[in-house]
Amino acid sequence: MEAGTASSGSGIHLPGMEIAKASKNRYEVMIGPAHPGSGHMRIFVEVDGDIMVKVDPDIGFVHRTMEKLAEGREWIQNIPLFERIAILDACNITLPYVRAVEKLLGIEAPERARYLRTLLCEINRVASHLYGMGIFGVFLGHSTLYMWAFGDREVFIDLAERLTGARLTHTYPVFGGVRRDIPDDFPEDARKATRYMRKRLNEYAKIFLNNPNIRSRLENVGVLTKNQAAELGLVGPNIRASGIRYDVRLNEPYEAYGDVDFEIPVFEEGDSLARAWARVEEVRQSLNIIDQVVTWLEKHPRENFMHEKFWKTAPKLYKDVYEGKISYSPKYRIKLMPIFASLKVPPGKSFARVEAGRGEIVYYVESNGDIFPYRVRVVSPSFRNVIAFKYVMPGHRLMDLPAIYGSFDYFPPAFDR
Amino acid sequence: MPAKVSQKKNPKRNPLGKVFAGNIGALAVGLKYFFDPNRITLLYPHEYIKLNKGYRGFIVLIKEKCISCSSCARICPAAAMRMLSVKVYNEKLKKYMIKKYPVINYNRCIFCGLCVDVCPTEALYHVPYHDIVYENMNDMILSLEDFQKEPENIEFKEGIPVKYYFDERRGLVKTPYMEELEKRNEKEEKNQKVEGEGEKGAS
Ligand code: SF4
Ligand code: SF4
Repeated sequence: MEAGTASSGSGIHLPGMEIAKASKNRYEVMIGPAHPGSGHMRIFVEVDGDIMVKVDPDIGFVHRTMEKLAEGREWIQNIPLFERIAILDACNITLPYVRAVEKLLGIEAPERARYLRTLLCEINRVASHLYGMGIFGVFLGHSTLYMWAFGDREVFIDLAERLTGARLTHTYPVFGGVRRDIPDDFPEDARKATRYMRKRLNEYAKIFLNNPNIRSRLENVGVLTKNQAAELGLVGPNIRASGIRYDVRLNEPYEAYGDVDFEIPVFEEGDSLARAWARVEEVRQSLNIIDQVVTWLEKHPRENFMHEKFWKTAPKLYKDVYEGKISYSPKYRIKLMPIFASLKVPPGKSFARVEAGRGEIVYYVESNGDIFPYRVRVVSPSFRNVIAFKYVMPGHRLMDLPAIYGSFDYFPPAFDR
Repeated sequence: MPAKVSQKKNPKRNPLGKVFAGNIGALAVGLKYFFDPNRITLLYPHEYIKLNKGYRGFIVLIKEKCISCSSCARICPAAAMRMLSVKVYNEKLKKYMIKKYPVINYNRCIFCGLCVDVCPTEALYHVPYHDIVYENMNDMILSLEDFQKEPENIEFKEGIPVKYYFDERRGLVKTPYMEELEKRNEKEEKNQKVEGEGEKGAS
């Protein structure tokens, strides 16, 4: 970036927030990349007094060449790799990849697998929002919320661990199905967790969002208008807080989302407070979905968890493992057919998207019939959201930076892939 | 039923009294948890979590079951699992033959469990713990002999096993896992007895 430039690169100005010409009083402040609050990114901020006049997010500090790495790995090996884009939202992040490859293979996950995927997606969404809220709290100096949100996130991580066997890197959806079915005591545990969390959300509101000190820092700060949000192409709860009715679960239902009953909360205000409330309301809806899905899973027989193509030829041992007849291996594990180790995907191009915790994530997958993908393109939600900083922050005071920054629920590893 | 949109608004703030009421509300909640805290802290390593059987921890090979198909090494996304050629004596043919067995490098393993899931004869399994310390990195590349043993976990000898249970009021509740503790004590008693007897025999 050119140091100390006077011209503003921004095309959009907020009404009443004029960007001043260069003057002696301008300083450049760098937030990050080793700042505890900024995560692995840097923000160039030009301040006039303590008013931010120009903000430029600089990403790329945790770039891991995911897309290139994917070209040298077999199809299934890419699932654990893409999980690392946003580890706290692992199921949502890998699901579109799995769906895109499924499209190329010409298969679709059977019904029970679809519900199981929905279940883990929603558990991940709750965990991811709680993480975001915790970080938001500590940005504003509210360490209570930080401790609470991280403690409560543990409830959902534990739930995910009981379902998949790992706390964060679940590698749960695979082509044609999932890797485990729910344990016998899972529905009861899940219901306890959702009931607990609903009650906790009210307390969160009391101690954080309705707390006058926090409110005054968030209300009318970082207002993102509907037009601006659409123009910048943002995604996720951030645009739903600005009044745009866009959610992949609504516009293009996938997995079991067409069959469960839930609401998409949309707010009008578009300020930091609305973004925070949008997340709280979304957690509430996710809890509803978890309840419904768990009830569905309980009522229906344990069959159809893997596509016929892969399960039809399963030997008896595989069924024994599922039924828990092997003493040393846990129950309800769905073993993978050895064909997964050298899967060849028919040539073609496909595209899939889902609504992850932070917004829409898109995968474009191209195959030339080999055991490796020819090209995988990932567009992650944080990458699309980060540009908002440039247009929302100028005009505010420097101390508003964390309030805006935290409200967008940034996640640097997801910007960079 | 597909999703519905529900239009919402930020909760309003009354011009009067809300600041006051909001503060009181926040303080009341804070006070409630001051007297009745919701603690889930694990005092590791004095306590350790007794994880469920399904947990994806360290991996153990059952050599007798392995058919040397290499599926596990091929699927491993981190190239942690490799096939090792060993000479084995074949009883039927009465000669030495080369057979391949998997070995693991824990420097690389990410515990994705794909190898365990893909093994057609269930010759691999997970042990439900993953917190094991090695003195140097070379030790983390296991030999075929070590790969067949369940790795030893130090905390299991001294720490108190705990389990987390879901609770409606508190989320997660930490409870000592007595069964495990009793089992361990019994084992220790037995060991002591055996040692005592050994001493007697020696004298
Ligand atoms: S758990 Fe995953 S990373 Fe570890 S050896 Fe098995 S396949 Fe490889
Ligand atoms: S997949 Fe199982 S049977 Fe095949 S080589 Fe690995 S451990 Fe042996």
